[in-house]
Amino acid sequence: MTIIGTGTAPFYERSVRGMTGLRAQAERMQSRIGTGERLARSSDDPVAAARLRTLARVDRMAQIDATNANRAAVDLSLADDALTSFAEAVMRAQTLANQAANDTLNDTQRAAIAAELSQIHGQLVDLANARDSMGHALFGGAAAGPAYELDASGNAVYIGTAASGELPLGDGQAVTRGLTGPEFLNFAVGGSSTDLLAVVRTLADGLQGADPAQAARDALGALSQGLDKVATGQTIVGARLAWLDLAAEQRLDRSELRGAEQADIGGVDFAATFARLQNTLLVLEASQSSFAKLSSLSLFARLG
Amino acid sequence: MASDLLSIASSGVKTARIALDVTAQNIANVSTEGYVRRSAAMQELVSVGGPDRLDVSLSGVRLERVVRNADAFRQSEVRRTGADAARADAEVAGLTAIETAVEQSGAYAATVDFEASLRQLAADPVNTSLRAAVIEDARAMAQSLNMAAAELDAAGTAMRFEAQAGVEQANVLASELARVNLRLARAADGSSDRTSLLDQRDLLLQKLSNHADVTTTIAADQTVEVRLGGASGPLMVSGGTSATLAMATAGDGMISFTLDGAAVSPTAGSLAGKAQALDKLAQARGDLDTIAADFITAMNTAQASGADLNGNAGQPLFSGTGAADIALAASDGALIATAPAGSPAGSRDTGNLDTMRGALATADTADTAGRLDGLIFDISSTVAGRRITRDALAAIADTASRALQAQAAVDLDHEAVNLVRFQQAFQASGRVMQVANDIFDTLLGIR
Repeated sequence: MTIIGTGTAPFYERSVRGMTGLRAQAERMQSRIGTGERLARSSDDPVAAARLRTLARVDRMAQIDATNANRAAVDLSLADDALTSFAEAVMRAQTLANQAANDTLNDTQRAAIAAELSQIHGQLVDLANARDSMGHALFGGAAAGPAYELDASGNAVYIGTAASGELPLGDGQAVTRGLTGPEFLNFAVGGSSTDLLAVVRTLADGLQGADPAQAARDALGALSQGLDKVATGQTIVGARLAWLDLAAEQRLDRSELRGAEQADIGGVDFAATFARLQNTLLVLEASQSSFAKLSSLSLFARLG
Repeated sequence: MASDLLSIASSGVKTARIALDVTAQNIANVSTEGYVRRSAAMQELVSVGGPDRLDVSLSGVRLERVVRNADAFRQSEVRRTGADAARADAEVAGLTAIETAVEQSGAYAATVDFEASLRQLAADPVNTSLRAAVIEDARAMAQSLNMAAAELDAAGTAMRFEAQAGVEQANVLASELARVNLRLARAADGSSDRTSLLDQRDLLLQKLSNHADVTTTIAADQTVEVRLGGASGPLMVSGGTSATLAMATAGDGMISFTLDGAAVSPTAGSLAGKAQALDKLAQARGDLDTIAADFITAMNTAQASGADLNGNAGQPLFSGTGAADIALAASDGALIATAPAGSPAGSRDTGNLDTMRGALATADTADTAGRLDGLIFDISSTVAGRRITRDALAAIADTASRALQAQAAVDLDHEAVNLVRFQQAFQASGRVMQVANDIFDTLLGIR
């Protein structure tokens, strides 16, 4: 007959196994609390780990999208500023054209106006060649160099590309990076296409010609059309900036959702984990003390 | 023939001493591995009576045999369940090494970083620092894939090394068993020599079953016949001869076993577990190579369809054919072909960069990050599933071994009681001698 159903060596073995098991469990929970992460390796919960990896990937892309969008916003703001300067210069040209259209001006006065208009033309060419935050032509599309170049006779010629390309904002959305020069400078007068720079230059040249007053009157209509075109360009830029704001908001919303999901899947419920840790420690302590009691119970000690 | 009080008492003293010896032996071997608790079985001695029907012919007691308290069924259960648990344990250990190799190499994170830096380049494709970032991330990605491949290979080497060591141990155990068989055939039935040989035999069988599944047949003379890989498998130990187990490694790192030249496939034991883990490793390694090769092809094809910063046709960005040898072929950021073919130098057109990013996002072919994610998921879910199996098998093996231990292990309290019991028996028999002496004296004293 066996007095206790177990042998002595197995008793010690089992006690050791039980206590090391409890200790390992406590340590696992301690490391969860320490790192704040529920999963130490993928196999702890393969599905949750795969979801966390996907979320981390999307997060990483969203970070890039945010910096890209910021850069696009800066460039579009620069374009907006440049367009405002354009509008101011054109308005000044309109004022000057109005003055020049007056028949009472003498040649000296007209020459002064013509001089100022050529200055404005120069300003407009400079503005059209404005640089963006990275030092590239703001209105040159995807070209490497400047957007406009003066040809041998002093006319500004567009040398950029036809389109400015799109910048991805993530989730399949994109924004056009900027405006090309022709998009807001070119328009048609009486069926023939021209551009604002040419109109101003023609006006400056015309004021020194045979019928300066008529030239000025002719230019007035074109200038107001050009101003309209610049204003349209500004509206487009404004709309794109608003779109970027909207996209940023959406990005923020989505990143909050992702953060919540990440915390949900991979985060540690501190209260529950701590309670469980406490429970495990209690059991461990109890099994240690009961082991101490049981192992000190030997019949040999009683037999004298 | 009448009884002899003195000889009855002397037989009692003798057997009590033997029982005390057995008890002392049990106490001494309380923590000896493989020791099975002995007990002394006694038998009453009765002499053949004389013609008188009322003749009392008692002759005392004798030791019948020393009993080993282990039954063959429980032992074979311990071997069977232990082999299953050892297999699951080895498999989980191997799979965990595979998981660590693929996951901790950081290949997934590096791929996502590369994807991210390509996306960042879209903001300003002519920016040299952004281009340099792409090149560096590409390098990091190639290196992490190299590392994953190297780690997988190292895990495979370690597993094969362990399996080879297991094979050698199994061979040592088998030849040891053959030797024990020879001695068992000569040992006398019920002798203490035989019981210790039986202990050895069972311990060797248990150790052997940790390496591979053994089917045992025990003959009348207690010698054992061992078959490997199921009841109809080849003989590993028969009488005094043992066959030699050998391991062969295939080109893809998978292992197979032969027993004296005949193919054998263990279905349990650590050798089986290692073979299963190596199968999975070969699959993971192949998947990793395919992912890397598809990535190289996709990136280089995209490069070829564009123009780099200097306006030249795009050159291959990566070289190599798999995860182990993928390397960066171009270390100059200017060589990334972001613009469509035929674009002038310095073009800010991102047409080809978009193609490149699109190729990376195409599911099933070059979505490298997605496929690495899938690979990690495949391995980690296998590990998680096998871990459950392992825990179940370990619990079953634990129960079986507990059942055997309840019978075979030495319990000190039990032995303490026996010590007292046999001591009392000894003293009582001594007292009987005293009585016999008194009777004799009384008889002599009659005048």
